[in-house]
Amino acid sequence: MNLILLTIAIPLIAGFLIFILPKKFTNITKFLSTISILISFIINIILFINTEKIVNNYFMFDNLSKFILLFIGLFAVFVIIYSLKYIESVTENINMYFSYILFTVSASYGAALANNLILLSVFWGFLGFTLYMLINTNDNATAESSKAFIIIGATDSLMIIGIGILYYITSSLNISSINISLKQGPIFLPTIAFLTFVAAAFAKAGAMPFHTWIPDMSEKAPIPVTAFLPASLDKLLGIYLLARISISVFELNSSMTFILLLFGSITIIAAVFMALVQHDLRKLLSYHAISQVGYMVLGIGTGNPVGIAGGLFHMLNHSIYKSNLFLISGSVKYRTNTMNMDKLGGLAKYMPITFIGAVIASLSISGVPPFNGFVSKWMVYQGLIDMGKAGSKLWILWLVAAMFGSALTLASFMKVIYSVFLGRSEKKWSFGDVNWTMLLPIIFLSILCVGFGVFAFAVPLKLFIIPALGEIGLFGLWNSQMATLLMLVGIALGFLIYLIGNMKNVRESDIFIGGEEIPSNKRVTGTEFYDSIRDISILDKIYKMAEKKYFDLYEMLKKFTFAITNRLRLIHSGKLVAYILWIFFGMAVLFILLNIRG
Amino acid sequence: MEHIIPLFVAISLATAFLISLLGSKFKFFRTAFPVISSAALVILSVLSIFLVNNNGLMVYKMGGWIPPIGICMVLDGLSSFMLLTVNLVAFFIMIYSINYVKKYTDVYKYFGLLFLMLAGMNGVIITGDLFNLFVYLEVAAVSSYALVAFGTGRQELEASFKYMVMGTLASGLILLSIALMYSYTSTLNMADIGKSLANEGSSSVIIFISVMFIVGFGLKAALVPFHWWLPDAHPSAPAPISAMLSGVLIKALGVYAIIRIFYNVIGSNIYTSRILLVLGTLSMIVGVIFAIGQYDFKRLLAYHSISQIGYVILGIGLATPLGILGGLFHLFNHSIFKSLLFLNSGAVEYSTGTRDLKKMGGLNKKMPVTGNTSMIASMSIAGIPPFNGFWSKLLIIIACVEANEYIYGLFAVIGSVLTMASFMKVQKYAFLGKLKEKWKNIEEVPFGMKFSMICLALICVFGGLLLLPEISNLLLKEASNAVLIGKEYVNQVLGSV
Repeated sequence: MNLILLTIAIPLIAGFLIFILPKKFTNITKFLSTISILISFIINIILFINTEKIVNNYFMFDNLSKFILLFIGLFAVFVIIYSLKYIESVTENINMYFSYILFTVSASYGAALANNLILLSVFWGFLGFTLYMLINTNDNATAESSKAFIIIGATDSLMIIGIGILYYITSSLNISSINISLKQGPIFLPTIAFLTFVAAAFAKAGAMPFHTWIPDMSEKAPIPVTAFLPASLDKLLGIYLLARISISVFELNSSMTFILLLFGSITIIAAVFMALVQHDLRKLLSYHAISQVGYMVLGIGTGNPVGIAGGLFHMLNHSIYKSNLFLISGSVKYRTNTMNMDKLGGLAKYMPITFIGAVIASLSISGVPPFNGFVSKWMVYQGLIDMGKAGSKLWILWLVAAMFGSALTLASFMKVIYSVFLGRSEKKWSFGDVNWTMLLPIIFLSILCVGFGVFAFAVPLKLFIIPALGEIGLFGLWNSQMATLLMLVGIALGFLIYLIGNMKNVRESDIFIGGEEIPSNKRVTGTEFYDSIRDISILDKIYKMAEKKYFDLYEMLKKFTFAITNRLRLIHSGKLVAYILWIFFGMAVLFILLNIRG
Repeated sequence: MEHIIPLFVAISLATAFLISLLGSKFKFFRTAFPVISSAALVILSVLSIFLVNNNGLMVYKMGGWIPPIGICMVLDGLSSFMLLTVNLVAFFIMIYSINYVKKYTDVYKYFGLLFLMLAGMNGVIITGDLFNLFVYLEVAAVSSYALVAFGTGRQELEASFKYMVMGTLASGLILLSIALMYSYTSTLNMADIGKSLANEGSSSVIIFISVMFIVGFGLKAALVPFHWWLPDAHPSAPAPISAMLSGVLIKALGVYAIIRIFYNVIGSNIYTSRILLVLGTLSMIVGVIFAIGQYDFKRLLAYHSISQIGYVILGIGLATPLGILGGLFHLFNHSIFKSLLFLNSGAVEYSTGTRDLKKMGGLNKKMPVTGNTSMIASMSIAGIPPFNGFWSKLLIIIACVEANEYIYGLFAVIGSVLTMASFMKVQKYAFLGKLKEKWKNIEEVPFGMKFSMICLALICVFGGLLLLPEISNLLLKEASNAVLIGKEYVNQVLGSV
């Protein structure tokens, strides 16, 4: 118990110290943040290994929360190490940045460990604030930070209604002691409560329709912030909450499952379509960050052990490869100072380690075996198929959506790899790979991408996911190490055949793109690879509507509110007589009401 | 120990008198003296909380005459809670004012009027007599008319005039209903009125009186649709006065009087509670919708006062223990963060000379104290944990759900989101972003102003601790119990003489 408080308190106290430290002591700031985050990570490891289960009125430390805790700590370590060098290129106010990162870590620990719903909402809401302040590290990001904060804050407030309803129904505020079935009995109120929690989880994780803050903020916020919050930490927390409520707090009925599956599928497909046409690397990545949430929601929506395990595992994998990808894009920006893929190209030569990391992460997110993304997507598919076996009729629809999305993801990342790292650049670069503090997280995360794929059943599933869900019967297993080995053998054989056979008579020919010959002096940026999908008759309209933000709940509500405000302001005419008439009108209404009632 | 009760009025009146008499001659009386005097009032308020906690309700008989013949003053949990709120805010405003009002001539009149207003508010809170309440209410209101016009510019005078017309309308309605009440019950002592109403039972006269009380005090509390004066009056006053008006005046004159009369004297019934619920919700939503389109910093804040008072009234109107606790807690919190926000706006005006949000930008870089405290206050009013506004809104929303009033809970959430959006706007335009070229040479405000803002911000940060059982038993629980006992108040007052 004391260790739990300690791990929450250490980053918090360090954050406060850094907050009040004068600005010029940047080295102390960096040292303090690194040390405190390392200590709290070590505490998390000790907790993970030694402690079984603690449940009291305030905190719940079980297998699910302890694995979330461990990985929040891990990502925090990576982000802090990466930021040490990177952040200097973004802001002068390094103290604020690090203190808010530390506050974020502390609040996330709290949110993952909270058993009391009020405590959960406190930590949860505070995370919105720290996100807001972190996005504001960049002076130009005020509109984007407000948007993110308002979307998250609005859903947090909705969640409070949900908490109120749960308290009203069960007279308890402890997650561990609430268990409500939506299958029988009065279901209206519990359904509302469930939906409010889903909204909070969706907004945090970035599932549709609450996703719109992610692409906007990713364009402006410092890249470590994007890599840390929307890409990894917010996914961990959002999906953690979704899993927690769908597994232990509520017992879902078929219509709730349907809602989850529907929103999951829409998220996968719509976001990946948006990603395909992006020219800005960060924006493209952020749309994938949304799209991938769909898989997690699908996994949890299946309601069967394999699906849920797949959803949670995908959450973990996604956090790994997506924060890796964002950090890689950060390195690219650090060196080239642009994120426009039209201007990038040929970086593989200059930044080889970053390039290898990018290839590994891209293959992972596309779900290519033997990388980690494949395993979790496979499990989600298994879960969906299993639903079909159990009698669900629409399972084939969800499955097709998931697989189609995966194919498009691969296509999208082909474009990224080509136009950023391969291809030809507009200008000659003259730099090498980035500083070691920026490479280290990328290397580690890439190793995790491979390791969690190759040893999926031996390490991550066995240590983190399956204990979190209790005893479940997994199926569709295969020997992933052996599969990898066979794949490597296959690749080696192919290479051998290549060496023996065709080495000497390689045919050189003209460059073709899309069936057309390209003169060798013309540069192919690769960004227009899939632009032609805009020409498909229905899609072009949808794209145009999306660009006008018709699907953006926030922008629509904003317009609506301002329309009302502008109308209502006319009442405030400044004429005293009108005001007094209004007062008497109000009084007359009150008289009538009270006389009828009283 | 009931002899401390009249001190709240006596000290503030005497201070007002001394400042008016000597303030133009001696610097002491327009700088340190107001601070010392209001510090004394804060200490007395804290003392009164402990007294009430030990002794329960206390009655002070003016001149030894036994009520209902003589006038009495009553100190209970609700009064001591309100006294603390009013005097605490007043204390910080005095400190802030010393630097702020240097730009005005006749500073001593400013402090004199301020203490007169304080005397009126303290009087309203502690009096046990209905007509006496009216007199104190007028004392506070008249001095506030003068204070709104203190800048004597065109805008100030116009606002003050409108404020005075509508304020007088409110006073007239209140006086009329007091007269009717007197003719109906033949007494003016609040406890005695309660007693004779209990004997008489309800009648259409009471309904008539109730409506006029709601309208009259609703005007003072600026509930929609009786709010028209506030968005003109509050921004026109000097910033510390705006803080005082929005922070405490509308609550002492409006909300407190509504609670006292409808819960303790007339006795709550389902219809008046329902009206309060509706009026509160209406204020909550309409106020914030007006606010969100504003670009005048102080006017935006003024509209938010309407909205936040709506939350207080919503909580009170629920008439459940949790609702009343939440409403009163929000009353306290609102007086802290709204005064802070007005002081922030004053600090910005002090340094840059503008109230137009569009002209500001990036002020955080030059005015870190103002920027950071305003960030804390904005988060508090938006209901972001762990700041104080979050806790009271949480209580109110949960109370709505608990009382089966889900729709009101939903409106509370919508209001809260819009409030948040509106303060994001303030932060975006005023304090965050890039510093504009023309503000390159501005400076942070002097120490006194910074001190007040920092103290209020600290209360915002740690305000949630008031809900800890030990502290809430002393303050909030006492206050909400005083409301919840309802007409038992009558017996307690009459029993203790």
